[in-house]
Amino acid sequence: MIHARPWPMAPVVLTRLTLFIAALTGVTATPAQAHPHVWATIRTELLYAPDGAVTGVRNIWTFDDMYSAYATTGLKAATKGTFTRAELQPLAQVNVDSLKEYAYFTYARIDGKRQKDAFVAPVDYWLDYDPKATVLTLHFTLPFKKPVQAKRLVIEIYDPEFFIDFGFADGDPVHLVGAPPQCTAAYDKPHDDNFSSSQTLIQSFIPNEANIGMGASFANKISVECP
Amino acid sequence: MLYSMFSLIALAISVVAVVSVAGAHAAWAQTAPFGGPRPVAIDGFAGWILAEQAMFYRALAGMLHAARDNGSALWGLMGISFLYGIFHAAGPGHGKAVISSYLFANEETWRRGITLSFISAAMQSVTAIAIVGIAAVLLGATAKLMSDTVHLIEIVSYGLIVLLGLRLLWVKGRNFAKALRVKWVEAQAELQSSLSYATGASFSQFRGGSATPSVLHCNCGAEAGRDQAARYHCHGEHDHHPHDEEQDVLPWGHAHGPEPEELAGSGGWRRGLAAVIAVGLRPCSGAIIILVFALAQEMFWAGVASTFVMGLGTAITVGTIATLAVGAKAVAKRMAQRPSGYGTILMRGAEFAAAGCVLTFGILLLTGYMASERMGLF
Repeated sequence: MIHARPWPMAPVVLTRLTLFIAALTGVTATPAQAHPHVWATIRTELLYAPDGAVTGVRNIWTFDDMYSAYATTGLKAATKGTFTRAELQPLAQVNVDSLKEYAYFTYARIDGKRQKDAFVAPVDYWLDYDPKATVLTLHFTLPFKKPVQAKRLVIEIYDPEFFIDFGFADGDPVHLVGAPPQCTAAYDKPHDDNFSSSQTLIQSFIPNEANIGMGASFANKISVECP
Repeated sequence: MLYSMFSLIALAISVVAVVSVAGAHAAWAQTAPFGGPRPVAIDGFAGWILAEQAMFYRALAGMLHAARDNGSALWGLMGISFLYGIFHAAGPGHGKAVISSYLFANEETWRRGITLSFISAAMQSVTAIAIVGIAAVLLGATAKLMSDTVHLIEIVSYGLIVLLGLRLLWVKGRNFAKALRVKWVEAQAELQSSLSYATGASFSQFRGGSATPSVLHCNCGAEAGRDQAARYHCHGEHDHHPHDEEQDVLPWGHAHGPEPEELAGSGGWRRGLAAVIAVGLRPCSGAIIILVFALAQEMFWAGVASTFVMGLGTAITVGTIATLAVGAKAVAKRMAQRPSGYGTILMRGAEFAAAGCVLTFGILLLTGYMASERMGLF
């Protein structure tokens, strides 16, 4: 026979249980992805053919000094403290090869529709080293699989895993090369480069559009309109 | 009775659910299920932690620069390293999920949980220093070689976690099955005894997987086998002594389930070591990049010290989470001491589920579906 047994401790234990689960949930609500380990500033050129179609995207990415030191470790240099393009060529090859796995961090949206596999393998790539700033800059051209004739082309550059934090360089980071005169380009700097040192804990909890930092999408967008 | 059953079920489900959700969340964020990866907006508490991690990480580079010219900046470097260690352990990696599940699956004290966390964090620091020390300093290796080494170590580490999970699943699964069978046997016995208590009849000896056992007579020692994980003891004339049972012969009489010390098992230090080694093998990507940077700045020893201090911070964060896991177990245990009989089953069931979590995490890590740190463009 099964006896029904009253349990006077129930409210206390259930309260403890609830508090405990809440604590556990709070702790596990930690970021599911790693923080950025690499910072890169972007300069981009869009390359046009004489008929007005976009043939490719030329990316010029400058990496931070900590990552540049890591990337150049073990490389032989004729002159200490600087590297020539030739000395950096094997590294450039490695970088370009591994970019393939991440879709070159460059995504195209043609007339509003996202294009998967829009690009083919990079050409004209090399690494430059700036001995004063001790930073590496990667140059590479991403040709489109098919040259793009579109009224509106959007190029987004970002790392979805946010291991690399991309941001547009100051000055004039976007250029159209050989474009028809009616085309205009605009770019979006969606996130603040100085994260959040001023952000207080309370502010983080209040949902607020002005509270950018990590709260907004971090894709860098280039929009080209050719009416 | 209903209350305790409900609470136990609720506890078991919620703890397993929370751990699984944490792991699944990590895995989900990593995959691109709806065609093409989208940037993830990170808000609130998680966003704040991510921002702090990045800020401390960048500050480390600056401090290394400063420490080159100014000796007192070394203290600042240590301080920042410590804080970075605390914050960045909240992100993916560093063994939080695996250690927590392992601690829940086993009978571990909170002291053991903290010790395991510290050992695994120390191991991660040592591995990072060893990789950079051997590869960069001694061999003059390139970043690609170091990244490849880390990838290799990753595979070994995650493979070990899978093996650990399999072994845990086997042991806890056996315990769970035993608890279920004990309950079945008890139910049968109660049924029989309530039917024929007046006659005082003795029942046939129980064998195999069916029929009715006797609660009046106990035949301890008849079928002794080797079984470390579960010991059952008899009531009545017999002393309270543990005795071994073969796996497929159901126990006599009234079983309380294994004593906690027995479940905890022998082996002492060696036992948790498997979990710690599996988790501690994979070094922190950030630590490697920082060490190489320090080497380039000709401040390798400052980098080494910084890495150990970082490990200390990591240990504190992982240890905190480990303590929560042990606390969850303690709560469950206290509730399982209700004399309802179902407590044991739910405990063994929850442990079985936690063992399953360890295995799942290992598989998710190995197949790349669970977030772990990258090494850059290599």
